[in-house]
Amino acid sequence: MLTVCGVGMGSSLILRMNAEKALKALGVNAKVEHTDLSSARGMRADVIIAQGLHTEDLGGAAPVIVPISNFMDVDGLRNQLDEALRAQGWL
Amino acid sequence: MADAGNAVVIDAVTGVPAGDWRAAITESCRPLLDAGAVTDRYPARCVELIEEHGPYVVLAPGLALAHARPEDGVKQLCLASATLAEPVEFGHADNDPVDLVLAFGSPDDAQHLGLLQALAEHLLTGLADTLRQSTDREQAIRALERVAHSVEQDAGDGT
Repeated sequence: MLTVCGVGMGSSLILRMNAEKALKALGVNAKVEHTDLSSARGMRADVIIAQGLHTEDLGGAAPVIVPISNFMDVDGLRNQLDEALRAQGWL
Repeated sequence: MADAGNAVVIDAVTGVPAGDWRAAITESCRPLLDAGAVTDRYPARCVELIEEHGPYVVLAPGLALAHARPEDGVKQLCLASATLAEPVEFGHADNDPVDLVLAFGSPDDAQHLGLLQALAEHLLTGLADTLRQSTDREQAIRALERVAHSVEQDAGDGT
């Protein structure tokens, strides 16, 4: 899984930490890395988590793209990941 | 590993007037510029990256995280906060308006990891509101110093 932001240093890192918390709560064992938008396109991730405003840019970069607006809402993130992973039959 | 906590330049400004999001970003970087932790290119790059990629730095309702890359003029690991006199619009669909801007800079791709991890933890436990309620600069600085201090305590933890 990738968390993605414009620079790949700050926002995506904070998102990664909270995504890891959400995945742990779901009992999902996944490797999460953070990166920038242009690198994300070539990284063949299963899941990309990013700001909603970036998901159009990222279209096709991963089978599952989860748009997030509040990076600090771990419960919301957990629900979105739960739904997205179930839709793929991965959970 | 160097004890990142000791090396962090920390500062804060409160009740800052900012007419728009560009001014808000610039004001949040100003204490870091004044401290010599970043060069004058840094705030300009923080603004350019938002122009380029949209307001993705608006992480949560009312909260933005101004940052650019190490090569954009960072000399020392640094973190600052700016509470705005009046909230500004960044053009974010869900999280506008913004009244608190955090700015950080890292001199390389690694030194900020502990600091940002601690920052994320503290943001989950009320740091944003503590900063918003800080009526003077010293109070805000103390809150940010607690973030840096928790990095020192966690150093070696490796998680």
